[in-house]
This record gives sequence, C-alpha cells and structure tokens, in this order.
Amino acid sequence: MNPDATWPVELAIELTDHSGDRVDLAALVRGNNDPAAGCSLVLFGFTHCKVVCPRALARHAGVLDRLADAGMPVRGLYISVDPQRDSPEAMRRFLEPWPAFTGLTGSIAAIDRVKASFRVFARRAEDPDDPGGYRVPHTAIAYLLAPDGRCLAHFADALGADEVVARLRALLVAHGSVDARAPGAHRA
Amino acid sequence: MLANDTLDAQQAGHLRHFENLSLQAPNDWSLMKGRGHGQDDFGGYRFQLAYMAYALAITHVHRLPAAPGVFKPVFERLIAKLLLPETWLYWRDVSRGGSIFNAHLQDRYREEWDPVARDNIMYSAYVQSLALLYHVLFDDDRHARPGALTFEHWSYFWGGDGHRFAYDQHSLNEHLYWKMVESGYLGIACEPNCIFQICNQPAILGFRMHDLLTGGDRASEVTRSYEQAWAQFGRLGDNGHYHVMLSQDTHAVRPNAARAPWVDAWCGALMNMWNGDFVRAHYPRQLAELLSRDADGSLSVRSAPRPPVNGHAVLNDDSDFGWVAAWASEMGDGETLRGLLRHADRHMAPRWRDGGLYYPRNDVAENAGGHRSLVEPMTGNVLLGYARLNVRDGLRGIYAGPWQAGHFDEPAIVEAGPGVDVLQARFDRASGVLSLTLHARFDRQRADAWVVVGRMPRQRRWTLFFDEAQVAHGEGGTLTAVGPARLDAVDAGLRVRWSGPRMQAMRMRFEGTPPEPAR
Repeated sequence: MNPDATWPVELAIELTDHSGDRVDLAALVRGNNDPAAGCSLVLFGFTHCKVVCPRALARHAGVLDRLADAGMPVRGLYISVDPQRDSPEAMRRFLEPWPAFTGLTGSIAAIDRVKASFRVFARRAEDPDDPGGYRVPHTAIAYLLAPDGRCLAHFADALGADEVVARLRALLVAHGSVDARAPGAHRA
Repeated sequence: MLANDTLDAQQAGHLRHFENLSLQAPNDWSLMKGRGHGQDDFGGYRFQLAYMAYALAITHVHRLPAAPGVFKPVFERLIAKLLLPETWLYWRDVSRGGSIFNAHLQDRYREEWDPVARDNIMYSAYVQSLALLYHVLFDDDRHARPGALTFEHWSYFWGGDGHRFAYDQHSLNEHLYWKMVESGYLGIACEPNCIFQICNQPAILGFRMHDLLTGGDRASEVTRSYEQAWAQFGRLGDNGHYHVMLSQDTHAVRPNAARAPWVDAWCGALMNMWNGDFVRAHYPRQLAELLSRDADGSLSVRSAPRPPVNGHAVLNDDSDFGWVAAWASEMGDGETLRGLLRHADRHMAPRWRDGGLYYPRNDVAENAGGHRSLVEPMTGNVLLGYARLNVRDGLRGIYAGPWQAGHFDEPAIVEAGPGVDVLQARFDRASGVLSLTLHARFDRQRADAWVVVGRMPRQRRWTLFFDEAQVAHGEGGTLTAVGPARLDAVDAGLRVRWSGPRMQAMRMRFEGTPPEPAR
C-alpha cells in the first residue's frame, strides 16, 4: 500500500489571473464546472526568480506538452508567492515562454491562504543583488489536483521530466481522467 | 564465524537491562529519572526509550538477525511507554514558549496538547521512526491501523473530558513530512522556534523506513532538499563543530561555540545514516577536541560547562560521554570506543541487576581520583549499551535497508523463554544452517530453558544438534528426539527445551535446496 493518499486542498480563494480577471481558484480547478475538465498541475513561484522558477516552468511546460500530445491534457497553474511585486501584467510577461501555464496572483492575505492550503513554504529574504532588494525562497513542489480539489500527488523539484511524465500518466489513468486505452496514453 | 556473530556477556547484559526497563510497570521509571524535571531536557524518558529501541534494532539486524522473538516484545513495550502521557505531557507547557532566548515570541505561542501537531520533533520523530522501524524489522503492521498511535490523557481530578489525538504510522509520517515541507526543509522545531539539526535526523530515518514499506522516495527528497536549505548556513561553525540549532524566526544559527560534545556526537551518530562522507570527513578533528586521555590509558570526554542563566543553574542531562561513545561506535572507531568503555568500567561503577548491565546515575562530576564519574541515566542505561552493541555504520545499515529479500521466510527464534539470553542467532541460507548460542540465566548450575524456532520450511528435513551431538530430527509434521532436548510443536513453530549447561550451542540444519527468496 502506498499511503501517500489524496488529500483535500482548500481552494475557495479569490485570485487574479494573468489577464487581470478575478477567478475563484476552486472554480478554476473544476474547469468552471466543465464535466470534461481535467486535472491541474500547480506550481508556486515569483517572477523575479532567476533560476529555479524558470527551470521548473520549462520542465513542467514540456511535461504538459507531452501529455497533451498523448491526449491527456492537464491545466498548468502558476501561483505567485510574491504578490507585492507580481502584478497580473508581470505574471503575463513572465509566463509568455510557457503558455501552458496560467499565472495567478492576489492580495497578500489571499496568497497566504493559498500557501497554507498547499503547505507551501515561502519567505522573504533580503537580497541586495535583486533589483527589488529581496527574493522569496519557496517550496519547489508541483501539485497534481483533481477537479474536485483533491491533491492526487506532488512532485519534488529534483524529479526529471521523464519521471514526472511517467508518474502523471499513471496517476491520470488511475484517476480516470483519461482512458488507459487512448492511443497516446502509453507514449506520453 | 562472522565478526559480529556472538554477543559477549556485557552486550547480553545491556540487552537484558533494556528488557528489564521495558518490563517495569507503567509509570515505574525506576533508574530512568535524571537531574532535570518536567521531561524537558535531553535525559527525558522519550530519549531513553527511543535509543534503547534503536539499539535493539542495530543488534537485531547486525548481530542477531535470526532472533526477532528476542527483540519484538521489548520493542513493543518501549513504544507503548513512549505513548504514555508521562513522556509527552511536558509539551503542554513547553509549547507555550517562554524560553529566555525566545522571550520576544511569547505572545505568539499557545498551549498545545497534541504532542505531535506542531514543533516538538524531539518527541514526534521518535514515535514516527519507532513505529515504522518496528514494521520494517518485524513485518508487523500493527501501528498502521487507524488510531494505533494515540496520545490520550484524562484525569479524574482536572481537565474535563481529557484529550485524545489519534494517529497511525502513515498519518504521522505524512504530517511530519508536510511540516518539513512547510519549513522549507530546514527542519521541524523542537521547542518553539528552535530547529535542531540533531532532532530532525530521526524523522529522516522514519521517512526512509516509510519508503522501504511503500516504495516511495521521501527520504531522498527530504535529504536532498534539506541539504539545499542548510547550504546557506553551513552545517558547521567557524570552529568546525556542528551548529546547535537555527532560530526559526530570524534564521540565526546558534553555533556550538563551547564545543559541547553532545552536539557533535549526537548529530554525527545519526547523520551518518545518509550523509556519511561528510560526517566521517570531520569526525577525527572534531573528536580530538572533545576527548581527554586518562593516565591509565582510558579515554574520557571533556564536557563544556553550562554557565548559569539569569542566576539559574541549567539542569540538563547532556550525556556527553554516552553520546561520544555512541558516535565512535557508529564510526567504527574501535580504539576510541574501547578507551571510553574502559573508563566507564573503571570509573562509572557498572552494576548488574536482574541479569542486566548498566551504569547507575551519578551526579558527581569527578571521583576522588579526578576521573570523570558523571553518569546520566541516558548514558548509563542506554548509550553505553548502544555503543557496545553497535557496529560500524550500524544505524546507516538500517537506513540503507536492514533485510535482504527472503529474510522473513528464514528460520528464526520467534519466542524466547524468560531468563534466556540469545547470544548468537544467524541463519545461513547457503548452507541451510541456523546457528544459535543460548545462555540460560537462572542462578543455578543446571538450566531449564526454552526457545521457539519458527518460520521453519515445511517440506525440508531438519536435524538439531547440541554442540556436535544430534538431538532431534524431523520433517513436515513429524519430529523425533534422540537426545536431551524436549521438543513440542506449537502454533508459532517448534519449542525446544533443554536442561543442561548454562551456555548451549545449537545448530539446526535444513536439508535440500531453499526456494528462491521472494522479491
């Protein structure tokens, strides 16, 4: 038995997406009640991040592309842990290289609630080398959410793309998000 | 014969002492009470219970792998004691904060009854790691059942309906893992705001045991992330000794400026599990600054004085001597270990009680001869025994994975009668021989003792020898005794009784080709 069981994440939190629209995170994960809505892959980060976030986004964007090609679409969400600097416009510009991801930001209180829901560590650290004078070290974990808000699994930053794809594929099939007999289900 | 194959009298005595303490009635903490009060120092019952269990694990895996019946019941009793309110009630008070170095945070903390909910990794990690270690060692999932690890307190006299917090080995492991994630992998605090490197190592052992059971990889994720998180501080201070702790709020590191031996030794003995190259690289120089050499050639440990704080003496069973011995044993530093044990045997008044060996508590720092005589219960009950029973990389070997495939299908002692010390118990798969050496501890010339050999392969003919003499043979459901042994088929296997010498060597040879171990 693997007791790394699913656990519910509190998602009834209002955020702003990178287009400037107000969104309810729970509704977004539910695909706005689209019965065919798939799962979501959630990352946390901040736009001033020089190394870790771009690397993680690039890797996971590639993962999402491979899954989409295999008929296993997964929604990418990138939630800011630096709401003071990460405006919707900043998020939009930052995420342009990785269109599979929707950027989300919000009030400090809303972001604190999201962080608590996902048990994310993020902490402002002074950094004179950063133009803003600080950076935000944070948990670099990717969370796989089912449309009903359950966290099906999480992936540490050290996992390579191939391993993440393999695990996601198995999880998506097990969850019923995709048909195991789908033509691409075994070659994502 | 393998190097670790047979226990000597002192090693068997330490095991017996662990068993004796485990057999004390609930809330009888005789011989275990240290100088501190309120269970909030390093000599608390939780530490003694946990490191007795780790010592059992090390001994079982490396010295007596074919004797689960010797260790399992003791392990169970130690876990049961660890769950007693007396071991964790301190948290209700300590959770409120108020230490002088955290005075500015006093308003932020509230009384917390649940001893594993937040912080307090100095307790929760031992519950987690022992429960999971038990499952790995004995293939017994009793602590995986819902509520198997329940912390419960009710008093007739106060507190209303009492308190009850139900966990199991998986839910507790998940909880600690996510607390580790929330901390940014710096670690979970012990006392509020105090993240000790030392006290997060048992949690890592627990994560690893959980991985062994489930096929996960939490331990490697945590250790890799933990390394990254601590890289900004370094593990060592400018003087080359392990940092004591990190303040959660300010991220200020508290270096081991005084070179307190327990800091290096405790941390090194545990961190060797997953970070052995680092620990070994620094061990010689760190150790050299902590040891002193007696004129008689034995070795002692230089403790760092604990200065008074705000006019108060700090009562804390640091257990420096015991921790350095345990560290040396994990490093396989036989010369240092022998020197320390020689000192202990000469100057720390070893005592035998009900067949068990321990060093009784002594609050006097030095004896009349100027030799270190201070013995905390943690040192005298536990750590010197731990050190004597350990092997090089003993805990590290458990972390790597204690058993080879097929272990639980091999013949072994699954029960041992009262007063029987098992000195040797090893099954050699290639030859099909179970080798046992048993010591009946009764205070008389002739012994009447028994063990139960279980997990016997059903279809293989076996022959039992006492020394070189054949005393019985059997196959399937039949058995024939031809010598002084008395044998009975029991549910758990074959009960072997004997009357004879206090020390009895036995061999049980199984014929035929063993099946391939299941993987």
